[in-house]
Amino acid sequence: MNLLMISCTPRMKEKSNTDKILDEFKKGYESNGNTTETFYLYKRNEWEIIRKKFYENDNILFALPLYVECIPGIMAEFLESLKPKEKSNTKIGFLLQGGFGEASQLRCCESYLETLPSLLGCEYNGTLLKGDMFAVSLMDGKVRKQMVEPFYHMGKYYAQNNYFNKEVVNDFAKPEYFPKKTIFLYNVLSPLQKLFFQVFAKKLGCKGSINDKPYQNYLNDIPS
Amino acid sequence: MNLIISALKKDDLYGKKIIENMQKNINDVEIIYAEDMNIKGCIGCNCCWLVTPGVCTIKDDYEKLLIKILQSKQVIFITDLKLGFVSYKLKNMIDRLLPLATMNLHFKNGQMRHYLRYKKHYKMGLIYKGNGNQEFLEKWFERVMINFDGTSLGTYNIENEEEILDELIND
Repeated sequence: MNLLMISCTPRMKEKSNTDKILDEFKKGYESNGNTTETFYLYKRNEWEIIRKKFYENDNILFALPLYVECIPGIMAEFLESLKPKEKSNTKIGFLLQGGFGEASQLRCCESYLETLPSLLGCEYNGTLLKGDMFAVSLMDGKVRKQMVEPFYHMGKYYAQNNYFNKEVVNDFAKPEYFPKKTIFLYNVLSPLQKLFFQVFAKKLGCKGSINDKPYQNYLNDIPS
Repeated sequence: MNLIISALKKDDLYGKKIIENMQKNINDVEIIYAEDMNIKGCIGCNCCWLVTPGVCTIKDDYEKLLIKILQSKQVIFITDLKLGFVSYKLKNMIDRLLPLATMNLHFKNGQMRHYLRYKKHYKMGLIYKGNGNQEFLEKWFERVMINFDGTSLGTYNIENEEEILDELIND
């Protein structure tokens, strides 16, 4: 079987968490002799080809990062440029990843993705979702491998089942919420976390504080 | 100041009517049309959190938009729906609000959130034109506002003019 994979992140491949996950998913998908073809929406000059591929293929996976509770603007723009398919047997699955750790943060977007394929004249093939992926492209070596490896198995799974079963996904994506203990501990250790981000920002070339308020002056003169 | 941000075309009849009505019923209204602005999509570079905190790398009209939002008492977005979701032009604007948050995290109401950069209670509402699932849009927009530690003024179908005038504008 062949799977058309469309990466819907605006980040270029080298810096993209979605694409590192997708690469691993692809390896798993291809492990039993299946084939894939991948296109990237951040390459805007390829949109014409990607549209053509969308119409030609009947087994499609959209991979995306969560952007403010739903799909990123670039994906919305691409989708708006598609004409719904007529009389197709096309199946669309989704791979949705986010920075926050809890699966519950991805549910609002998931509920939108459930409705999307039918609006494009296609069938819904489920959504694989997973949080806590903020650092994938910042890590390398073993740590990154550890973070993305589960997606190899899900690629294999998707090739075998051609559907993301909800129970399987829920198990893969847990925790749905963090336990109260974790939340308590996290809030207690909050100063350490802030320090960590500040040091990290400095390494990236940040000269000020990560809490800087560059537009504070505009706030102060609110007319009633 | 009350800010209206419309992603509808200026000559859209529904848009014109509702905006006229709002101008009549709300004092101190300012209107921004997406049509007049160049707002590109967020590229997820994280610079506004980690490299130039609070400032976006993409130099287009986002700064004007951000400042207007900081100055306003409430913001009302107007958009058409595409495939049951807000148009990409509107989503781009919302994605570009990320400099309002910081990198720092905490838990609020059982979920992880970013600390906000400015001390301000944002109040925003959404008016949409076209077919969509009201329940989903309501939920989505509520969650958008949770991310900015603000309040959703609700989501309204542009055809329900009375509801908009009674509930959204009288708030």
